[in-house]
Amino acid sequence: MSLTKKVLLPMLGAVAAVTTATAALAGPYDDYKGTKLVVNFPAHPHYDAVMKVLPKFTKETGIRVEVDQLQYLKMREKQTLELTKRNGDYDLLAYVVFSKADYVYADQLENLARYFMNPKLADPSYDPDDLIDGYVGNIGVAGGNKGYLPGPTGSLYGIPFGSETSILGYRKDIFKKHGLKVPETYEEMLDLACRIPKLEKGMGGLASRAASGHHASHAYLLHLAPLGGRIFDSEWNPIMNNAAGVQAAEALKKIVNCGAEGSKTFGFAEAGASFLQGQSAMFLDSTIFAGRVDNPRLSKVVGKVGWAPHPKGVRRGSQTGGFGIGIPKNAKNKEAAFLLMQWLTSKKADRLIALAGGNPSRYSTHSDRDVNAKFPHMQIFGEALKYADPDWRPIIPVWGKINADLGTTLSKVLTEDLDIKTALDGVAKRSKEVMREAGYYTWDSYSASGIN
Amino acid sequence: MNSLNLNRFTPYMFLAPAGIVLTIALLYPIGYMVYASFLNWNPSQLISEAEWVGLRNYTNLLADAAFIESFFVTLKFAFCVVILEMLVGVGLALLLDRNIRGMSVLRTIFILPMMIAPIVVGLMWRYMYHPTVGVFNRTLKDWGFEAIPWLSDSTWSLISIIIADVWQWTPFIFILSLAALQSLPKSVLEAARIDGASAWQQVVSIKIPLMMPVLIVTLLLRLIDAFKVLEVILVMTNGGPGLSTEILALRISRTASEFRELGVAAAMSNLLLILLLVLTLGMFLYNKIVETKKAKLRAAVEEG
Repeated sequence: MSLTKKVLLPMLGAVAAVTTATAALAGPYDDYKGTKLVVNFPAHPHYDAVMKVLPKFTKETGIRVEVDQLQYLKMREKQTLELTKRNGDYDLLAYVVFSKADYVYADQLENLARYFMNPKLADPSYDPDDLIDGYVGNIGVAGGNKGYLPGPTGSLYGIPFGSETSILGYRKDIFKKHGLKVPETYEEMLDLACRIPKLEKGMGGLASRAASGHHASHAYLLHLAPLGGRIFDSEWNPIMNNAAGVQAAEALKKIVNCGAEGSKTFGFAEAGASFLQGQSAMFLDSTIFAGRVDNPRLSKVVGKVGWAPHPKGVRRGSQTGGFGIGIPKNAKNKEAAFLLMQWLTSKKADRLIALAGGNPSRYSTHSDRDVNAKFPHMQIFGEALKYADPDWRPIIPVWGKINADLGTTLSKVLTEDLDIKTALDGVAKRSKEVMREAGYYTWDSYSASGIN
Repeated sequence: MNSLNLNRFTPYMFLAPAGIVLTIALLYPIGYMVYASFLNWNPSQLISEAEWVGLRNYTNLLADAAFIESFFVTLKFAFCVVILEMLVGVGLALLLDRNIRGMSVLRTIFILPMMIAPIVVGLMWRYMYHPTVGVFNRTLKDWGFEAIPWLSDSTWSLISIIIADVWQWTPFIFILSLAALQSLPKSVLEAARIDGASAWQQVVSIKIPLMMPVLIVTLLLRLIDAFKVLEVILVMTNGGPGLSTEILALRISRTASEFRELGVAAAMSNLLLILLLVLTLGMFLYNKIVETKKAKLRAAVEEG
């Protein structure tokens, strides 16, 4: 008896000591040390920068990360397959903004509230107020206004990561040579787009996408929001054929007609190349493009490019888009995935990724001294972000179909001289049918009957 | 009794593996596709959750202007490429059916285009058609002509993809016709030569008729392929400008991945399948009729 006591007591003491020691030192990551997370990222400049920073996470936390990088347009197909499986392979995935509508609607993404409420997981210094509002609203939140926007009924399903807005790039040397003023309004921009080709032989005004389908539609939407238009009114009636819609198409047509040779079929890559090769004087599209301008391997205009916010029409409204990261409902290691997600979007990592050439999603990073020293345009981007419009394009499941119709019809306007009003009336009529089939007018007759 | 039964079943038992493979690998997927075409099926749903809509996908398609346009684009594309490829391929084979030194090297070079991956072919042609740096427009400009909007004009873009397809697939017809030519009975040609038939007469009345069975199969293979070509056009124009080069295969792929309407995509595939079946059966039927006619004629000649 006494013997056992003698042996047991010190043992118990030792055990107690060990327990208190671990409790005192227990970090939030300890329980997950050695976990292997499988994540799905796109092949995209932002995520290339992320890959450089990711080893730091493993070093700090002991959580290993295996990355499956895919071409971004192919991601949705693969993810749809993964998300419908009983046990998914991905613990964390980056989704293109318009996938939000599909994944959240099909109940395939974790609601993030229960993670941010968990004191063992949520980092008190995370500072969500610092995340860019427009991006969070556009990419992360669903269930609020119109279903896809923030609002009192909305909640968070993802965090913007690799998001982008639109920005105007211009050739400082050309503008200086002819004494031109950097355009602040649409009028000025459209005027310059057609004036520059006359001043500078062989140079296009503004490089824009115009290729049939997604590209033409994207270019049109860039102009639609600032010019005061929308795709739908508040009752889901297509209104892209109203005066503002027609004006946006006219702007696109003018820009393409005054663009560099071949601009009628430019995709994002061709439009960018035309600017980088010095064949166009201006460029209006995603901020992700800025990283390439000063890379002498890709660009002939190193050091010659200035940046300005997306010009104002009747209002300011630059695009919001890019990627967000979310946790699949069928993930194996959800908590560790949340820790990775939180770490990647923290102030510290956002800054590191920006320094490695990524797109920051925090205001603080845009005003960070080191980041600005390395990428002087970052401050202008930060300014521009204040006007990022989360509702510049609808994020609803049937958008893919309407987008394709809009894009091919606009391509006909650009290449076959189809009348703009007729073309947009056609799109509106067909969109109405698509929306009706999808059930967006289910409540119309009920509301009209005046029962409520 | 027992052994008799066994004997009777033996052939079926030998056929069984093939039958099972056929059922699993061919009939099951087709059945699945036919079933899916009656559903309103979104890729985020399991097939069991999809809503049954009967023939709605089909009726909607027949009223869908974009689908009809792409259907006619497909027809135009397929007939143009097949006719051009047959003419050029058979012509080349007739010209090169002789003993030239280095013929085997030449033949290998000729069939190179069809060995290149379609995506690469698409990219290659896209750069050659490039409005400013492409080799075609640069050459045209050097010679003092106007540049041609290869891929940015709706008429030209269809012509452009036809040219690219002809470039890639003529060799296929070329080698098959060459093989057919070289296996023709030498005695017939010799007889014709002795009778004083000109080269042209030999081609028209002997070589082509004798090659016919091979040519018809070749034509059919190309026609079926031409209806399904996807990658080259996807890379070159992605169906644009407008819908001018959006062939059915591309429309199906977009419907499934961009519009996320698997049911509609399945319905389109079924329509394409039916169209191809009709074409194939028609071709075989025609062939059969011609053969029977010939056989009758031969019988009549022999009798007389």
